[in-house]
Amino acid sequence: MKHRLQFTAKKLVRMALLLLGVSLTAFFLMDTSPLDPLRTNIGQAALGTMSPEQVARLEEYWGVNTPPVERYLGWLGDVLRGDFGTSLLYRRPVLEVIGQRLRASLGVLVCAWLLSGALGLALGVLAGASRGRWPDKLVRGYCLTISSTPAFWLALLLLMVFAVWWKVLPIGFSVPVGGADASLWERLRHAFLPGLTLSVTGMAGVALHTREKVVDVLDSDYILFARARGEKHILRRHVLRSVALPAITLQFASVGEIVGGSVLVEQVFSYPGLGQAAVAAGLGGDMPLLLGITVITAAIVFGGNLIADLLYGMIDPRIRRGAARK
Amino acid sequence: MKKSTFLLLSALLSLALLTSCGRRNENSFSPEPGISQPLTIVMPPTSEPEAGFDPAFGWGAGEHVHEPLIQSTLTVTNPDLTIGYDLATSMEVSADGLTWTVTIRDDVKFTDGEPLTAEDVAFTYNIVKDTSSVNDFTMLEWAEAADETTVIFHMTRPFSIWPYTMAITGIVPQHAYDPATYGSNPIGSGRYKLKQWDRGQQVILEYNLDYYGQQPRMEQVTILFMEEDAAFLAVQAGQADLAYTSAAYSDQRVDGFSLLSVQTVDNRGINLPVRNNVLTADPLVRHAIDLGVDRQAIIDHVLNGYGTSAYSVCDGLPWWYSATAEISDDPEQAKRVLDAAGWLPGTDGVREKDGVRAALTIHYTAGDSVRQGIAAELANQFKELGIQADIKGVGWDTAYDDALSNLLVWGWGAHTPMELYNIYHTAPSLDSALYSPYANKKVDELMDAALACSDLEESYTLWQQAQEEIAKDVPWVWLVNVDHLYWVRDGLHVAEQKLHPHGHGWSIVNNVDQWSWE
Repeated sequence: MKHRLQFTAKKLVRMALLLLGVSLTAFFLMDTSPLDPLRTNIGQAALGTMSPEQVARLEEYWGVNTPPVERYLGWLGDVLRGDFGTSLLYRRPVLEVIGQRLRASLGVLVCAWLLSGALGLALGVLAGASRGRWPDKLVRGYCLTISSTPAFWLALLLLMVFAVWWKVLPIGFSVPVGGADASLWERLRHAFLPGLTLSVTGMAGVALHTREKVVDVLDSDYILFARARGEKHILRRHVLRSVALPAITLQFASVGEIVGGSVLVEQVFSYPGLGQAAVAAGLGGDMPLLLGITVITAAIVFGGNLIADLLYGMIDPRIRRGAARK
Repeated sequence: MKKSTFLLLSALLSLALLTSCGRRNENSFSPEPGISQPLTIVMPPTSEPEAGFDPAFGWGAGEHVHEPLIQSTLTVTNPDLTIGYDLATSMEVSADGLTWTVTIRDDVKFTDGEPLTAEDVAFTYNIVKDTSSVNDFTMLEWAEAADETTVIFHMTRPFSIWPYTMAITGIVPQHAYDPATYGSNPIGSGRYKLKQWDRGQQVILEYNLDYYGQQPRMEQVTILFMEEDAAFLAVQAGQADLAYTSAAYSDQRVDGFSLLSVQTVDNRGINLPVRNNVLTADPLVRHAIDLGVDRQAIIDHVLNGYGTSAYSVCDGLPWWYSATAEISDDPEQAKRVLDAAGWLPGTDGVREKDGVRAALTIHYTAGDSVRQGIAAELANQFKELGIQADIKGVGWDTAYDDALSNLLVWGWGAHTPMELYNIYHTAPSLDSALYSPYANKKVDELMDAALACSDLEESYTLWQQAQEEIAKDVPWVWLVNVDHLYWVRDGLHVAEQKLHPHGHGWSIVNNVDQWSWE
């Protein structure tokens, strides 16, 4: 038990350092970007109608003249006290904005994540087991096509087919246009296409990686030995077990990809999730909100990897004992 | 991304047209005639007021000024952008320009039933003065209610165009104003009430039954916020009645929709630095450029024909000096002017004077395809005149400094003469105007007089006189006003629009209460 605690503590320290690094990088990138918050949010043409006095007021609000180091340390100090600040754009506490957006995104993200993992694993095993034959070619062809397709383009294509041609699904948003009651069924209908886009793109990577692993395992000596012994159910008994570990790694590593992919996909589907807010904050120079979103998504991604690490030990006794010996 | 998305989209679209001909109309829902048909409008995501419908946080104000709809204003801008009254019944300004007295109607109620009084007006202006995150209220010292229906504004400096500020400042109720919640639960006395707001998605407005003016004809208006390509898909899917679009989509066709082109003062122009640049420091060169540009060619080549020639920063507005439009685009005359100025063609066709080549760089803000197109088109036209022009995309972080010695493609177009003032007036702490080196004492005096003037009509004349002076110097050349384009469902009658200001946004719905279904 002790080593587990040590392991977790070590991970947590690493997480704190990572979040610090991520926030610093995000701050640095944002600060050096040629983007001027006044010009993007107020508009250059609006600034042209203002007195220098008003422009100075706005510069102060957007923190244009505060030195970067001072701004970052100020932010960091507040965050350590648990205060993520107030969004400059939305004028509400950052955590409130993120919480609201995350709730909207979460269903779609989790569904897409589970679906892409399960389908990716199934397709990968199918392709690996039938290496060189038509199911393998089909799966690989599909995965390579999808991997080289930008998610936002696929999103537009799906919208085109389902919303414009067939008119069976809504054109975007998470609730019905015009304010009818948002029943669970309606919400599902609205979440379907964003979820589908993310699953379809997410599963290609999982499937390709799984396939490689299955092929490796099938080529190994112990499979040859098992075959020689005339064993049945090789796939279930040997291959699936060996593939389980990399599959878990992939599944939890793909949290990052799904979250990242949602940024573009939500733009296309006008879906009011975290991705949309991230774009608004990034383009609008809303530093507190952008840093908040970056840190929290980084924490989610890190959390995903941490869970994978912890699951290893549970699934594979060798890792558990290895860690104990250290 | 926009461009590539568009290309992909057009490929898809042609595919769609091939495969789905004849199917299209079966499913699309067609509006019933009558006034109760709900209306769905698509605006860009940037039009959503992130901080809500609170005038203190910029609702109604900003780059794209518009009527606040949910709240009433003291004044309104008429279709010709002169000033009319909404809540106000009279207004008067003292001779020194420092005190405005406005009387308001006494029959107006907020949607919570409370009457709107001068107290509310004074409260609103004091609040926006303290917190305004967008609009400029620095000329206001404070506001007070003299009695139930009289408001007095004490100014810090004379500001003759104060009625234009009053036209976009929505009045909030003193008894129900909390800055933390008002933005998402606004109470006003305007034509519409906020019925529902799904952040990041849609705003639903419902008409105000107790409105003191003419009853709105559109009972419910839904405004969706979508990216341009998604907006176009929404039109094709028949899920919107009106959606913004751009010239890039203008050659598309959608069954059951037509393209509405709205005239604007959303102009594009270039600055010609009168200092720091050997070529444009020569006034005759500046005149020649103004004469030599072919504005119609820019409209045809860059805007797909959707635009009008621009001759000032405020074409068509009450303070516009309309004689500027008499400039004829005449390259031959421009060449003669350059010859006379001593800039003579060299061996490679580029003009020279005293060993200096007539070469310049036109900057544009990278990422703006229209401005890039204009810069490229200008470079071609300059070549015809014998001026070598390179183009260069820059970011806003350097654009301002670049513009002090180089040409930059700008976009302006506001419903207030303050823009004119800031572009041409010598800036307080500098020896020239803010955006491009230019200083003319006479222009400064005329514009200061216009601001100090106690009569609005008279101030228009002063603004015009200032422009007459400016026209002699040509420190800027104005090129085009970009039309704003919308897909409109057949049968929807969009009421006549005021000249739209810079940028796509809420001003299309300024008079949505007067729209109708045929």
